[in-house]
Amino acid sequence: MTKVTRRRFLGTLGAGAATLTLWPGISAAATGSETRLLVLLLRGGLDGLHAVPPYGDPDYARLRGPLALAPDSAQPASKLDGTFALHPALAFAAQLFGRGEFMPLVAVAPPYWGRSHFDAQDCVENGTATPYGAQTGWLNRAAAALAGADGLAIANVMPLMMRGPANIQTWSPPLPMQVNPILLQRLEPLYGEDPQLAAAFANALQSQGQGESMNDMQSGGAAGSNDAMEQNVPAGKAGTLPGRLPALMKAAGSFMAGADGPRVGFVEDYGWDTHANEAAILGRKLKELDDAFAAFHGAAVAVWPKTVIVAVTEFGRTAAINGTNGTDHGTGGAMFLAGGAVRGGRVGGKWPGMAANQLFEQRDIRATTDLRAIFKGILTGHMGLGEAVLAQNVFPNSGALAPFDGLLRA
Amino acid sequence: MAADQSYAAATAANRFGLGIRPGENAVLNDPALWLAAQLRAAPDGARTFDGLPTSFDYMQREVEFYRRRNQRKGAAGVKKGAAEPSQVNALRESYQEAFGADLRREYLARWTIAADTGTPFAERLVRFWSNHFAVSTDKLRARLYALPMEREAIRPHVNGRFFDLLLAVQTHPAMLRYLDQGQSIGPDSRAARRVAERADGAPARKRGLNENLAREILELHTLGADSGYTQADVTEFARALTGWSMPVVAPQRLDPGAASGGAFLYREAAHEPGVRTILGQRYSDDGQDQARAILADLAVHPATARHLAGQLARHFIADQPPPPVVQRMAQAYLDSHGELTAMYQALIHSPEAWAPQGRKFRTPQDFIIAGIRGGDVAVGTNPRLWEGLLMRLGQPTFQPHSPAGFTDVASDWIAPDAIWKRVQVAQALGERVPRTDLDALARATAVLGPHLDAPTRQAIARAEAPGQAMATLFACPAFQWRI
Repeated sequence: MTKVTRRRFLGTLGAGAATLTLWPGISAAATGSETRLLVLLLRGGLDGLHAVPPYGDPDYARLRGPLALAPDSAQPASKLDGTFALHPALAFAAQLFGRGEFMPLVAVAPPYWGRSHFDAQDCVENGTATPYGAQTGWLNRAAAALAGADGLAIANVMPLMMRGPANIQTWSPPLPMQVNPILLQRLEPLYGEDPQLAAAFANALQSQGQGESMNDMQSGGAAGSNDAMEQNVPAGKAGTLPGRLPALMKAAGSFMAGADGPRVGFVEDYGWDTHANEAAILGRKLKELDDAFAAFHGAAVAVWPKTVIVAVTEFGRTAAINGTNGTDHGTGGAMFLAGGAVRGGRVGGKWPGMAANQLFEQRDIRATTDLRAIFKGILTGHMGLGEAVLAQNVFPNSGALAPFDGLLRA
Repeated sequence: MAADQSYAAATAANRFGLGIRPGENAVLNDPALWLAAQLRAAPDGARTFDGLPTSFDYMQREVEFYRRRNQRKGAAGVKKGAAEPSQVNALRESYQEAFGADLRREYLARWTIAADTGTPFAERLVRFWSNHFAVSTDKLRARLYALPMEREAIRPHVNGRFFDLLLAVQTHPAMLRYLDQGQSIGPDSRAARRVAERADGAPARKRGLNENLAREILELHTLGADSGYTQADVTEFARALTGWSMPVVAPQRLDPGAASGGAFLYREAAHEPGVRTILGQRYSDDGQDQARAILADLAVHPATARHLAGQLARHFIADQPPPPVVQRMAQAYLDSHGELTAMYQALIHSPEAWAPQGRKFRTPQDFIIAGIRGGDVAVGTNPRLWEGLLMRLGQPTFQPHSPAGFTDVASDWIAPDAIWKRVQVAQALGERVPRTDLDALARATAVLGPHLDAPTRQAIARAEAPGQAMATLFACPAFQWRI
């Protein structure tokens, strides 16, 4: 009995930690006809102008300077139409676009336009017109309205969007080993001031392949792993391991692909708050996002034709770049729909333009579409919820806001 | 709150405690009193450990396993050294599974008490003494007993006499097995003579004195290295300790006294007869009381007082603690004839211990516990996550790989890879902080007190999500220190 070795101990403890046994019957091929909806919340404020560059807008190149992208850039963006392109890192998404299964929407925002991360995210999640307007999340209330539909949140703690009366399972991988580059950016000056820790921190950045990340990291550079903690994988080595988000999306896809799998899912990511050195950071983050779409697709082929993925963020960023090759908190931003049920292959939303008099408060893209209208459009057509339920329960007091039309295949 | 008072509260909670928990306000009113009150009774936790098996229970199950295994082997006609038949393997696996489940409960209870305790200073003392009397579970036959030793031998005596603590540890199966005491046999004992007679002139199987425990008691547990004892003292002490053992000496060797009723067993036959002389002091042969008398003298030896005071001061105040504090602590200990609380009182009443510029680097264990407490993170039901994090950070619970325990100075823990992993762990912790009503900035203020400087505050305020704000708090330099 002294052979209760450490490995065995951990092995026993770890049994089932990362298996897909949460949902009974998951191994069977999906035979159900039920549709699937996954919401991916990108916390931090994705810069829509960098992800979906409006290269055709006459003011874009001037305002964006070195951050401007176009189909004829050194790293060419994928041309979507005469006005918009897609960041080169979003290669799989561009393929989906070609198949009509991917749709960027521009100039969208929650009804809150105040530029605070927390307030804006709260609003995106609670589904009302104001931050802290509800204690539960709209996606949970939508799941509750779908008789018998369970939900899945890929998170350690229940996110607001999934809180509420409906039954939601949570799942998360044991330990995210990838470090948020924005977190490193925030820590760097703090460590610089601690004489005992400064050198160790600087060396850590260097040896983890992040040393140049603060200055001129190339796109697709450092990635990380989210392997189980007992695996001695060197975390964060450049480009050798899949990122955190793809792993989460793969897990979500595996769960949701089951015949009895959850119909409603939620995944969250962070690290999108690009105040400095944006080209490098977004190059990496958008690659991760692209890999995440591919990972979900690969894991959920069986239900892909009945799936809508909604990737959404709390706000867009300033039209002009700031003094540190980044952008600050803005208003109107971009979102993405992906999946076989999406009527994609085109850019949605109403573009307000980037001329000084077209900008909101002369600095941000004006939001022309309320995010809730998009959500409503998907919940009616795709999930079969009635407009009355949506206007009262899911998005309280939103009767005046019509569901956005034409997002889905007939 | 006055500035001095807020520094004092932060010091009490972080330097002496396990890191502040939201809503833990008692420390704020009178930080010194808050500490002193924790020395008056046993530390919190009795209920957390309710229902866990005792070391004696574990040992009985070991005995039972060997008995059943030998029965099965006999029934199958297995010769010594031959491969074990499948029914023996099955038996082994069923016992391993049961012990594995118990170990999980042991580890979980230890994390739970760290997260929940209302007497964090006392809990820190428990862990200090656990590390002082380090056993390492990479010694397989000590594995089952390391966690019970903390519950059974250390926790009850942490606020008592050092001698009681010392005796409880040295008679615990974890220490007896870890430092090979159970097998030590006096060269002139009855047991040794029996072996020699049986060998009948042929070279006897080599069994005899083992000095391991005696040496570590002198060097690590009591007097300290370079305190003047000699190799002769070590050998004499080892002779006195012969016979101190346990019912299951080592796997596959049962003692006939196994049913005697406790996890400690004095084996008279193995005891080396005779008077012993240690540090110039003679000890008559009183059987098991001989070594006990030696421990009693060692416990109140001035060198022991200096050694313990130096280690405690290093643990709580600074890597290079001010000599006057160490001196005062040692003196208080001697004046009280070995009361640990006298030494603790001298520590917390030393102005040097409260100096705002003093700081200790958080060990990985401290770091994770402070994160769990500061973030109100649920420990959950599976300790694997936390044990895995500790292993990544280089401080696997009860695996210091050395009887000296884990190091207690900053330079040993500060390395680029270690810092990087802390950031990773900070992120993992941040994601586990419950978000309902979470105000990260208010939390950071509560956790760091006056040590939350403007740049750190700003970095936390700028985080893009509450979990990331908490990760920033846990990863920031100030959080790496017990200040």
